[in-house]
Amino acid sequence: MTAILATEGLQKNFGGVFVARDIRFAMQPGEIHCLIGPNGAGKSSFFRLVLGQHKPNAGAIFFDGAEITALKPFERIRRGLSVKFQVPGIFKALTVWQNLEIALQDHLSGDSLAAEIRETLAFVDLAGQARERAGNLSHGQQQWLEIGMAISLKPKLLLLDEPTAGMSDDETAKTGDMVHRLNREGMSILAVEHDMTFVKQIAQRVTVLHFGEIFAQGTIDEIVADERVAEIYLGKAQ
Amino acid sequence: MLPSIFAFLFQFGDAFAFLVLAAAGLAIIFGMMGVINLAHGEFIMCGAYVTVAAARAGLPMPAAIACGALAAGIVGIVLERLVIQRLLHRPLDTIVATWGISLIATQGTLIVLGSTMPGIGTPFGSFSVGEFSYSVYRVLLMAIAVLLLIGLYLLFHKTRYGVLARATIQVPSMASALGVNTAVVHSLTFGIGAALAGLAGGLYAPTMTLVPTMGTAFIVEAFVTVVVGGGDVFLGTAPAAVVLAFVKALMINWYGQLFGLIGLLLAVIIVIRLLPRGLSGWILRGRE
Amino acid sequence: MSGPADMGSAKPASVPSAAGRDRGHRVRRGFLGTLKLVNGPQTLGRGPIFWSGFVVACLLAGIYPLFADGWTVGNTAYFFTWTFMAMGLSVIWGYAGALSFGQTAFFGLSGYAYGVLTINIGSAYGFTFAALVLAVGLAAVFALSLGYFLFYGRISGVFLGIVTLSVTLVLETFMAQTAGPEWAIGAARLNGFNGMTGMPPLTVPWPGGDIALWPDIPLYYLLLGAMIACYLGLRIVVNSRFGNVLVAIRENPDRAEMLGYDIRRYQLGAFIIGSSLAGLSGVLYTAWGQYITPNSMGLYAAALPIVWVAVGGRSDLTATLIGTLLVLWVFQTLTIYGSQYALVVMGAMLLVTVLFAPRGLIIGVADLGGWLRARLRRGRS
Repeated sequence: MTAILATEGLQKNFGGVFVARDIRFAMQPGEIHCLIGPNGAGKSSFFRLVLGQHKPNAGAIFFDGAEITALKPFERIRRGLSVKFQVPGIFKALTVWQNLEIALQDHLSGDSLAAEIRETLAFVDLAGQARERAGNLSHGQQQWLEIGMAISLKPKLLLLDEPTAGMSDDETAKTGDMVHRLNREGMSILAVEHDMTFVKQIAQRVTVLHFGEIFAQGTIDEIVADERVAEIYLGKAQ
Repeated sequence: MLPSIFAFLFQFGDAFAFLVLAAAGLAIIFGMMGVINLAHGEFIMCGAYVTVAAARAGLPMPAAIACGALAAGIVGIVLERLVIQRLLHRPLDTIVATWGISLIATQGTLIVLGSTMPGIGTPFGSFSVGEFSYSVYRVLLMAIAVLLLIGLYLLFHKTRYGVLARATIQVPSMASALGVNTAVVHSLTFGIGAALAGLAGGLYAPTMTLVPTMGTAFIVEAFVTVVVGGGDVFLGTAPAAVVLAFVKALMINWYGQLFGLIGLLLAVIIVIRLLPRGLSGWILRGRE
Repeated sequence: MSGPADMGSAKPASVPSAAGRDRGHRVRRGFLGTLKLVNGPQTLGRGPIFWSGFVVACLLAGIYPLFADGWTVGNTAYFFTWTFMAMGLSVIWGYAGALSFGQTAFFGLSGYAYGVLTINIGSAYGFTFAALVLAVGLAAVFALSLGYFLFYGRISGVFLGIVTLSVTLVLETFMAQTAGPEWAIGAARLNGFNGMTGMPPLTVPWPGGDIALWPDIPLYYLLLGAMIACYLGLRIVVNSRFGNVLVAIRENPDRAEMLGYDIRRYQLGAFIIGSSLAGLSGVLYTAWGQYITPNSMGLYAAALPIVWVAVGGRSDLTATLIGTLLVLWVFQTLTIYGSQYALVVMGAMLLVTVLFAPRGLIIGVADLGGWLRARLRRGRS
């Protein structure tokens, strides 16, 4: 099977600091994959490289069987990538409805647009807030709105950058549930996450990054059992 | 042959000095605070007027210029406290507000002091190479521009204020957590930028007619230098001034004064297409 | 021309399937559907009260010439010539979030172009209107080439402002030194600082003698009609899908790009629309007074549109239009009492607006009205 996302020899350095060093990564379609690692391990930089916000110094990125290394960010989105940023990236001055309308208006119109917005609102549990200004939502709701915008593009691969940051336990569990439902419909998901409970809840495979390199890879049980992984986390903590 | 090479070098040096002196204050305020000060030309005008008034009152030229710079600096600190400080988180609005200040200052000066003010002559006379003659004062300005760059480097890298100021722009939250009064740093920075504008005004006052709108003679070139240079005085403004002075001197040599300006503008538009974050962004690329 | 195949997947509790969306879906809205966009979330003033007020204002403007002499009416028409540049800047700055300080560059360019064309070719057969179109087209082409370098170079807000300002100041400097007789295009002398004169006013071809529109009642009606059409047309533009994307870019450019929009193209589009309107103002101004000078591209001229749009409320077309007419009127009244203070007052207006009503005075008043109404309603229930 062709990998949904793969990188070969991906390298990015700022002066002498390497945020990605010869990263050889692959994930299969339909997978929920988590990217973990101590602060500064290069997780967010990896996302930026995949999205095209950073240009790699060397290496190649493949999406759904085709090379996308030279594409602009918006061109990658049109191929079927989508992202939820770490800091909620929504249009705060506009209503929740308008936020989703802007996400969907290039694909649908009229009644089918309205129906799809309603459906998405129900999915992210914001049906009651449609007329609310997005900036007035709670932090967790803003995160969900952005997830709603990201999935309304019907991506093949959804990137989630710390989707549960700042959420209560309740909200975190609900978010995990959303991720599972999306995955059951066939969406591949790659998430950067700190919260290990959440990782255990959703992840099928886990990649550990450390100093811009792939440190370990495996199923969640293998990673949790790996003493070296525990060490880099503890070593960092000291 | 030799005299025409000298003529080109002189033009290059003259353009370089003008760009550095005109842009230094603007660049410091932009680089350190992210504010584009559209009243920059009026600080220059303020420095020029005070310098001339002090010189006519009998002060020696260097002291008069110092008065001009000081006056502009004080006005700058006051304005920073009253206006700029409230707008630091809205960079586009600082442009609009400083433009308002600029309109008030120019027209206010016109109303109070009239349309023109008697100037003072250019000191030191001239010397000649080949068939052309050159002003000694302009050579002095070139030396001052170089000294100014060295002085600013020392100020921002070797003094306590400089270290605090750079800390404030790089990690504002950390700086205030360490007990740095960031509001004072901002006021001082704006004041220094304004004083540098005043200095430029004082230095060029003997070579120009004093009118309330004299600042406009500086601002286009100051803008252009800052846009090409980006947010760093030493890695941006200085190399930008070298490049632009070269372009300008070439264009002036070939087509005349006006095309010097048009050449500058075209250079800018091409540079920003290639290097969106200016020369300093390009020199510092990879260090984010 | 139809939606993607998966668009009918509306079943309850289902989630969007991971199929990847097609792009380039085109809406066939029809003429009436397009007209409906005149009301939408991107414009204040949508209810019956607002539209009644709009109709009343139009009627008042329509009968106004019956109660004033031709000279005064022509003078009011002069106000109208500026509103196009103001509304254009509202689109660029207020809606798309890109601050251009150099709209006067397009104003001056089109004004001079109109002069050169009509002085050389004349006003017969309605050519003045062809010259208008050509001059505005020139502004659009200039905006396209300048905007390409700016937006495709990813210029951020502050830099965009100073580059555009530099462009207009350099154009002013250039035109100011064209006093010599060698600076002529055909029969049209550029005339340096004194400016270009002698071009014909807009002239309507008419059997039995062309009608020249001097600053008088017919020109007033023409400009009033154009202004209303431009206002309503722009309301449709900002409420359309294009307008939605502009506002999205203003609010959060990264998110807009990560929804698959090429934000550079949208910003460039807004810049071309706004700059063409500045060009239109330039042509109308030149035709109104048969006169254009380099000063129209100078620092003070460049400040004017910023003042109108900022004071009224840049993020709304209605607020911009009302604010522009209001500021122009205040300004002219002030000039009668002492023109030298007018600029000081203008600077103070800018400063006060930015400090105390950053969204603009008209929008501030509208917000206050909405807030009061909400308070009253809550008080009653």
